[in-house]
Amino acid sequence: RLVREHPVVVFMKGSPAQPLCGFSNAVVQILRLHGVEDYRAHDVLQDPDLRQGIKNYSNWPTIPQVYLNGEFVGGCDILLQMHQNGDLVEELKKLGIRSALLDAEKDQEKK
Amino acid sequence: GSGGPLARTIRAKLTAALQPTHLEVRDDSPLHGGPPGAETHFGVLVVSGRFSGLSLLQRHRLVHEALQAELAGPLHALQVIARTPQQWQSDPQNPPAPPCLGGSKR
Repeated sequence: RLVREHPVVVFMKGSPAQPLCGFSNAVVQILRLHGVEDYRAHDVLQDPDLRQGIKNYSNWPTIPQVYLNGEFVGGCDILLQMHQNGDLVEELKKLGIRSALLDAEKDQEKK
Repeated sequence: GSGGPLARTIRAKLTAALQPTHLEVRDDSPLHGGPPGAETHFGVLVVSGRFSGLSLLQRHRLVHEALQAELAGPLHALQVIARTPQQWQSDPQNPPAPPCLGGSKR
C-alpha cells in the first residue's frame, strides 16, 4: 500500500512545491526544516477516493496525514509538537534519516 | 462571545468526554476564507488529566472520538492541542492556526 512506499509518506492538499492548505504547508515546512526533502507526497485533492480511503485507513478524519515507516504518526498539530519537543528528530533517526537540525545544533555548541 | 451552535456543541461534548480543567474552542473558519461564524474549521485546546500517559496520537484520537458526528458532518478541519494539567501549568500557550493558503479556491 501507498504508506509503505517510502519511509516518509505524506497525504496532503496540493504538492510540496505548492501546498493548497495551511495545515498541509505546515507539514511541508517542518519536514524541510529537518532537511527531509526526499519523501512521497500524495495530493488528495486529485483523487477523492484516495482522500476518503486514507481517512478510513488511519481512522483519522482530516488531511494532512504523516506516515513514518508505514505507521501513522498524526496530522500537522502532532508533527509540530513532535518538532518542538525533539521527538521528530528521534523518529527520523530511527528511519536512518539524520535531521538537519542536529547539524545546526552542533554548530551552535561549537560557538 | 461563546461562539455559534457548533462551537457550543464542541464545547459540551469535549467537556462531557474529557472533563477538562481548561478548554478553549476557536472558530478558525475566517482564516480559511469562510465568513465569520462559518464554523467549518475549529481549533481546540484541551487540558485534561485523562491525557496522562497517552501519546499525542492517542490524545488526539480521544478528542476525535468525542466529536465523531461533527467531523463526519460540518467540521472540515480540527486543530488539537491536548495537554495534561502539569504540561499546561509549565507552558500555557495556545498557538494560532497556521496561515491559510487559499485552499481549494486556488
